[in-house]
Amino acid sequence: MAHRGSQATTLYLTALYMLVSCTAVPVNDLLDRASQRSDKLHSLSTSLTHELDSHFPPIGRMIMPRPSMCHTSSLQTPTDKEQALRVSESDLLSLARSLLQAWVDPLLLLSSSANSLPHPAHNSIYRKIQELQEYSKSLGDGLDILSGKMGPSSQYISLLPFRGSNDIGQDKTSRLVNFQFLLSCFRRDSHKIDSFLKVLRCRAAKMRPEMC
Amino acid sequence: MRRAVGSVPLLLMLFFIGHAKETRYSPPGKPKLTSCRSPEKETFTCWWEPGSDGGLPTTYALYYRKENSDAVYECPDYHTAGENSCFFNKNDTSIWVNYNITVVATNALGSNFSDPVDVDVVYIVQPHTPENVTVTVMEDKDGPFLRVSWEPPRKADTRSGWITLIYELRVKLEGEEEWEEHRAGQQKMFNIFSLRSGGMYLVQVRCKPDHGFWSEWSSTTYIKVPDYFPRETSVWILIAVFSAFIFFILTWILNLKSNSVKHCLLPPVPGPKIKGFDKQLLKNGRSEEVFSALVVPGFPPTTSSDCEDLLVEYLEVYTPEEQELILEEGKDLQEGCLKSKGSPSDSDSGRGSCDSHTLLMEKCGEGEGKEEKHQERAQKGKRQQKHQTGWEEGDVSHTREDVLSPDMSEGRVKTWPSVFSPLPQYSSRPLDHQGSLETARQLCLSDSLFPPPSTSSHLSYNAKEGLALGSGQQEFYLGKKQTHPSNPQSQPRWHLQAHSDFNISSMDRKQAASGLQLPGFRSTEYVEVQRVNQEDMVILQPLFSSSCQRDGHLQIGQGEDYSKVKGVDSGNMLLLQREVEVKREEEDGDRYSCDIQDRVTESCYTTSTAASSQVTGKPTSCAGTAMPVQEEMVLAANGYVDQNITSVH
Repeated sequence: MAHRGSQATTLYLTALYMLVSCTAVPVNDLLDRASQRSDKLHSLSTSLTHELDSHFPPIGRMIMPRPSMCHTSSLQTPTDKEQALRVSESDLLSLARSLLQAWVDPLLLLSSSANSLPHPAHNSIYRKIQELQEYSKSLGDGLDILSGKMGPSSQYISLLPFRGSNDIGQDKTSRLVNFQFLLSCFRRDSHKIDSFLKVLRCRAAKMRPEMC
Repeated sequence: MRRAVGSVPLLLMLFFIGHAKETRYSPPGKPKLTSCRSPEKETFTCWWEPGSDGGLPTTYALYYRKENSDAVYECPDYHTAGENSCFFNKNDTSIWVNYNITVVATNALGSNFSDPVDVDVVYIVQPHTPENVTVTVMEDKDGPFLRVSWEPPRKADTRSGWITLIYELRVKLEGEEEWEEHRAGQQKMFNIFSLRSGGMYLVQVRCKPDHGFWSEWSSTTYIKVPDYFPRETSVWILIAVFSAFIFFILTWILNLKSNSVKHCLLPPVPGPKIKGFDKQLLKNGRSEEVFSALVVPGFPPTTSSDCEDLLVEYLEVYTPEEQELILEEGKDLQEGCLKSKGSPSDSDSGRGSCDSHTLLMEKCGEGEGKEEKHQERAQKGKRQQKHQTGWEEGDVSHTREDVLSPDMSEGRVKTWPSVFSPLPQYSSRPLDHQGSLETARQLCLSDSLFPPPSTSSHLSYNAKEGLALGSGQQEFYLGKKQTHPSNPQSQPRWHLQAHSDFNISSMDRKQAASGLQLPGFRSTEYVEVQRVNQEDMVILQPLFSSSCQRDGHLQIGQGEDYSKVKGVDSGNMLLLQREVEVKREEEDGDRYSCDIQDRVTESCYTTSTAASSQVTGKPTSCAGTAMPVQEEMVLAANGYVDQNITSVH
């Protein structure tokens, strides 16, 4: 299935490349669309964490791992505005793509364990995680196209393997805690992606200063 | 001495301690971090709420720890942001880093830590309000509108895309309760339409980062819309004025033509057209008077009155080939026809009693065919008799008595009824042209042959007219019959009787008859059937005298001309001939005046003596006629002339 999926992805990308080359969609339009997707992605993740927080055991906050424990924390990202604005567009794109790529597997885990989550709103959570996957996928494809236009350094993707186990825990609390922890990590990373893309968008939109 | 000095602090301390125990000082209460906010994603500020201070001066300290390290730092700036706040400047602010912040309250007796709060700067962004909000009134073809423009808060760096702001503004009229809110997206300008003329508007703007909190509303900007006239209203006013104008015009026209409109919508109800009907009497409500007014004196005629009154108008049927025939017999036919007309139930087509075109044709003739005419009439009468089945002899008999001359044979008497009352019979069956004509003929035969005293310029028969007019004169049966105006005397008794029997009202027709004249007709003459001799010949004599023969007696020697019925040929035609010899009854009759049908004397009438209703078709010939048949008119087979004319009186 993954093979077929990758085949379909390749086909889709090829068509997209051809389309892009034929129609030559301008980069700023692509960035605009990408930033819209990332905005939606982050909004979804934020709502998910809030939904999960509504029925979170207080003790869970105590035992919540630190955010530095996220599997993507090893990636060096700017920590303030000056740093972020100093990063080149290619690097920004590369960072965005790396982060996005790093979350493909964890999202799978989340979606698989969402149904059995000991939470009253687990159905809604499950639907939202599926939406997350869709948006993530389409954003990834768009970024791949963008990277093709922006130079070789944007092609580089840092690998951030997800070393978490295939299940999120045994007991109810640990499951909830692990779930919530993963979601929080994703929320931050989606915000990073969104910010990078919006910076890129404003840099590319020299023709439309009113947007930035 | 020294011991005394050293004991003073001890005493003081004891004193203070003793005091302290009495005022109950306590360690500070737990402070609480209320919120932390970053206006531009570069700095942030945290505020806390102090707990009870425990009566002692309490100091607060904020400590934070970043997620990556365990180093605890204290707030760098307690003052910039005001009381109980901690301001983190750009150097101290890191994004995408969790801050673990704690506030500590300390007083002399102790300290108290607040609950730690985890803060990530990027999630707590709340910008300042938009700045430089300007509202201007712009003009458009549809009217004025407001253009609101603003700028992002000074510190928010939207240029680089570091922070993306979306804006919202709200408007309301001065004095209103509800605001009208509009999302403006990322743009920094907005238009507001549909303004009230002369209104004062209030405008406010606020902003929000893509993932953050809304800012406060900006300070209100006041703007006054100038007075203007909305285009829609002017259009409506124009339409209203136009409609009112049209309405007034229509009303005026309607007023002018009110009469015709009234006539069209409410047609006048036709009043009754009954002769003698007086509306006024009806309105008065006296029914007796009304109905008595309807009674016309002399109607129905019970006594012999002026012949003319009783004369039923005859109509002459004019057909080209029969003109001559008609001319001869015109007048004669009239009277005879009229008589028979009496039945009101006759479903007559409005023709005169003597209307058959054959008969009329004869009349129109030069009088030559008189004899034939008479003959035909006689024949017709016979035929009529035969056709009648339900004839009431009784009714007729008495009339016959009056009218018939004693010379009449018995057989003739019998035939009278047929002559008299063709109508009721005919009414029972579909009365066609033929039938009525037969009837007419019959009557004519009976009363014809009386030469009219008056001039014969009277054609009287106008079948056409009769037919035409007859439709409205159904009750008068046989249509309009033009009585001979110049025959005052034509009131033979039998005619009267018949009249009474059949309730003929013909008076009003007389006058009309006189005026009618068929073109090419000669004046018709009337002949009087004097008698029928033994050979069944109808002896005719013309009618001259103007006096009406009321007694029904045959007039002898009055007329000069008469027609003899020569006979009935095979074609059921009455052949008449004139007689040159002057007999006392017979004379050449150029003219026949068929006055009123009182007389039914047939002078020269020969028929087969078949009193039965069979049509023998036997020709009859006039006995003693010396004159050749002047004309033999072939009548159309309309049954005008009865084939069987047995005895016609």
